Amino acid sequence: MEKVDLENFEPVIIAFVCNWCTYTAADLAGTSRLAYPENVRLVRVMCTGMVDSQYVIKAFLEGADAVVVSGCHPGDCHYINGNFKARRRMKLLRSILPMFGIDRERIRLTWIGASDGIEFAHIMTRFTEQINEMGPCRPRPQSTLIKAG
Amino acid sequence: MEADLKNLMISMMEKGAADALVLPMKQADGQSVMPALITSPLEVEKAVFLWPSFFINTARMASCLSFKPAGRKTAVWMRPCEIRAFTELVKLNQASRDELVIMGMDCPMALDKKACRDYMEAKGETADHWAGQVYPDPGSSGRTVSLACSVCTSPVAVNADLNFLFYGSPPDKGAAVEAGTDRGREILGQLALDTGETPQGREKIIKALVQARETAFEEMAEGVSRATDSLDKLETFFGACINCYNCRNVCPVCYCRECVFNTDVFSHEPIQYHQWADKWGQIKLPSDTLFYHLTRLAHMSHACVGCGQCTRACPSDIPVASLFSIVARATQAAFDYVPGSDDPPPFTEFKADEYQDVVGID
Repeated sequence: MEKVDLENFEPVIIAFVCNWCTYTAADLAGTSRLAYPENVRLVRVMCTGMVDSQYVIKAFLEGADAVVVSGCHPGDCHYINGNFKARRRMKLLRSILPMFGIDRERIRLTWIGASDGIEFAHIMTRFTEQINEMGPCRPRPQSTLIKAG
Repeated sequence: MEADLKNLMISMMEKGAADALVLPMKQADGQSVMPALITSPLEVEKAVFLWPSFFINTARMASCLSFKPAGRKTAVWMRPCEIRAFTELVKLNQASRDELVIMGMDCPMALDKKACRDYMEAKGETADHWAGQVYPDPGSSGRTVSLACSVCTSPVAVNADLNFLFYGSPPDKGAAVEAGTDRGREILGQLALDTGETPQGREKIIKALVQARETAFEEMAEGVSRATDSLDKLETFFGACINCYNCRNVCPVCYCRECVFNTDVFSHEPIQYHQWADKWGQIKLPSDTLFYHLTRLAHMSHACVGCGQCTRACPSDIPVASLFSIVARATQAAFDYVPGSDDPPPFTEFKADEYQDVVGID
């Protein structure tokens, strides 16, 4: 069994992004050839309102070091109020999961609009740096580590 | 005390205040006490109102009796936590107060499973004896009270139609009852009981009790947090869990009509188990133990009333309630929500502008 390699630690960050806003921003970042870290693995959902609490819990149980849920700004949700529901769910998860050692700063909610490709790349880069700083969420062997270099 | 309560119940039925009663009744084995529905005053004789056992949370039973109209008025005897749980179910349209009379009381507490068995086996102990000990002085029974009861800071009934006041009431002086609602006032009018003062010293006993319970809660919270403040520790805490889902089944506020863990979502493909074993080294079977408990916390911790049925039902003796009640405190504080109040549950509503503290990556 491989030991955890803290020097070459590459965080695994799962991003649940809404189709209409943040995923479009990510797509724009891509077509604009803006780089952001490979650590962020996008999961496209139609709306942040459909991000069940269980998706976030499962991500952490499967070894994710951080989860970010990102969608339309309040008032701009394609389904009117999905992002309001997401906000309540993230409030819940940020109250419960830290009690089990999953730092609140690893569980995030952001609003990134469709035209904000640059902001998307910046935010994901910054977030990855922060999680890198914080270290692995649950130090244990992971066969999904991205090898450095 | 028991005799006075029995007479009152019979009187309620005879005067038409109730067509039926749900009371704690001694069962066929002569020891177990369970909530039972009776429709004849002749059955009241077998009731045991203040027995220190808490086999089942009556809220769920009251929901079974009231999710649709029955055409009969039923008075239900419920502890404070059961009433709060029942209120949560009413808010979710899984129960209704329309045909029920909720009878609450100053809680007689419950002994933990082993102490309860010993108590039941010690013939000669009566409910009046128990009431005589714990109502003047809640800590005086000399027996092991269930952990959930020993940290409960809500020992008095809220939202009951009729509320029986026992703290400070000497058992040989009969039971004091007050009305909490118009329906309760109407019934008391029908019963034409003697009026009197609130039992002396009741407020003082309750204040001291709640304070002692709060201290006990904080002590328990400290121990449980230390034992569970990482996912690895949580795995240890639930190391003996067999995924029987008893805790879910007895929980009065686990409200899902079909639990996701009963669906095909958790009928994994066989190869999936192998892939998990490849990844983690070993995968305990049955799997998803932590996922189950974390999901339950996410789904119902806002409504947890701390009744302790989950611990009682656990065949592996895991103190589930001690973990769930501390997480419940955190969730309920986050949403400023009190289970059993009239406020809508946190996930049935949302506002355009709230919880901004949750948003953003700086």
